Amino acid sequence: MNLRVVGALVIKDLSLFFRNRAFTLLTIFGLIVYLIIYFVIPGSVDESLDIGLYAPVVPPAFEQIQGEGLKMEVVESEETLRKGVIEGRYVAGVALPADIMERLMSGQKPQVKLYVTSDAPGEIKDAVGVLITEFAYLQTGQSLAIEVSEEILGQDMIGMQIPPRDRLRPLLAVFILLVETMGLATLIGEEVERRTIQALLVTPMTVRDLFAAKGIMGVSLAFGQATLFMAVVGGMSGQPLIMLATLLLGAVLVTGIGFLIGSLARDMLSVMPWVLVVFIPLVIPSFNVMFPGTFTGWVKVIPSYYLVDTVHRVSNFGAGWGDIWRNLLMLALFSIVIVWIGITALRRKFQ
Amino acid sequence: MTRDAIVAEGLSYWYGELIAVDHISFGVAEGEILGFLGPNGAGKTTTVKMLTGQLKPKAGKAILLGIDVASDVEKVQGEIGVCFEETNLYEQMSAIENLKLFARLFGTREFDGYALLRRVGLAGREKDRVENYSKGMKQRLMVARSLVNRPRVLFLDEPTAGLDPASSESIRNIILEERERGATVFLTTHDMMEADKLSDRVAFMDQGKIVALDTPHNLKQQYGKRALKAKVSTDSGKLEDREIALDTPETPSAIRELFARERVVTIHSEEASLEDIFIRITGRGLEG
Repeated sequence: MNLRVVGALVIKDLSLFFRNRAFTLLTIFGLIVYLIIYFVIPGSVDESLDIGLYAPVVPPAFEQIQGEGLKMEVVESEETLRKGVIEGRYVAGVALPADIMERLMSGQKPQVKLYVTSDAPGEIKDAVGVLITEFAYLQTGQSLAIEVSEEILGQDMIGMQIPPRDRLRPLLAVFILLVETMGLATLIGEEVERRTIQALLVTPMTVRDLFAAKGIMGVSLAFGQATLFMAVVGGMSGQPLIMLATLLLGAVLVTGIGFLIGSLARDMLSVMPWVLVVFIPLVIPSFNVMFPGTFTGWVKVIPSYYLVDTVHRVSNFGAGWGDIWRNLLMLALFSIVIVWIGITALRRKFQ
Repeated sequence: MTRDAIVAEGLSYWYGELIAVDHISFGVAEGEILGFLGPNGAGKTTTVKMLTGQLKPKAGKAILLGIDVASDVEKVQGEIGVCFEETNLYEQMSAIENLKLFARLFGTREFDGYALLRRVGLAGREKDRVENYSKGMKQRLMVARSLVNRPRVLFLDEPTAGLDPASSESIRNIILEERERGATVFLTTHDMMEADKLSDRVAFMDQGKIVALDTPHNLKQQYGKRALKAKVSTDSGKLEDREIALDTPETPSAIRELFARERVVTIHSEEASLEDIFIRITGRGLEG
């Protein structure tokens, strides 16, 4: 590989990239918009518990357990209670049987139903469980006097205690990386369409130099922006080295995709539909982070899953090398395969 | 003894069933201008692509400056300049940026892009974006780009096509200057007048084969017909044409008779053009 030639090509491509107003706007404003979105979304979780209660007869002890951070609203029917939980007005609903007092007095265990929202984290269920136990203790002097049966309404989204904007972080990182495929693919497509590639190919430049230059340019643009974004939103604070390695592999992956699209498209307009075609499946794993349990195991066939999952686990749970090495390995394998396919397709087009 | 800068030995290329170049062999001496002529689809572009390392021959060999193109294409490409027929410049970049990029790719030392642009008549417009250039200016920049590495072999594909007479003349002068410098020029053109004016030798290509290769003078001698053309005034005052074939035993007496019997108003000799010769050899014109 001729470094002088590769350097000249990278400088040329960067210069052409930033002379294209559309790319410049997408790059700069895109980054700003993603940062705004991140900071506008709540950075904390509302800790107050809104609990619905259906009780044909409200036991006296229930009045005593309401306090700071706990709001209890009595509803008319069990159906209204379920609806309130599903609609998210209550994080949990408690339905007491009509004969609760008689059963408690006679020493029988009354059955209390606990309805929880699908996104109720384990902590909330635990808190409501404690609440019911406390009620039983206040009412009868013993905590085991009540049997609780739990019913989950909607999808189970245990672990939602991470602030929404931090859940959005992997999605935005994938967005930033993917947007750069558009610029790279357009530059490649136009190089072929305008036949400038022909002029390059009669100089001492080799096809390997050309791929190296395009690769460096694609990876550095995508990696640079994603790193900047992660640094600003605090994604680098825990495990910066792992995060950098992950973003670098992600940048290689999208560069391969850029090669592939560049081999299919002719200019910016024809790049757009192809970008959309790959964009949609590649962002799917991000929704799994935002709404846990949305997709099952099949999502792992999407290469970006390993990028998203690693960014999520490292930035939100402080995962270390031991936790995510398999993800990085898979991401590296996918990146190599896609770059290889992209180079093969482009080589055919150049010839 | 002058060695050949370009050698084609049984060079062939085919696209599936279609034979584009059919075992052609020729040599171009150092410092020579070879006009490469033929109709569209004759195989000229495919030949140039094989000579410049863009295509690997299916059979035969291309040797430039003593190097087999297929075995060391980068070395060969470092010594050649190619000017394409269709404009393929980086239009969002300025003229000087275009030249500097290619100078870096070639590793040209002491490169003076401004001087080169002055030479092709683009002084004062060096920093303008190429997208704002006229067709003629772009073509002149294409020629300038092919010269950034001071090539020993220069391939020019229709360098004056569609240009105004002044631009065409300035490009022709550059071609002659390059020959003076010692460069070998491989000139592909449809313009027979241009080829006649510039080329030391011309090659006619038709249906993948070289059907004639010689100096324009020899081709005219071999295939052309020289004639004397006169306009004579008749008794009624009308002008009529007379033609006397030259180079025949009867020519002197025919000329004497013309002047003795007719009132000659104008007279001039006429040579066959390269186009006439091409038609005579191939049975069709350059337009295919």
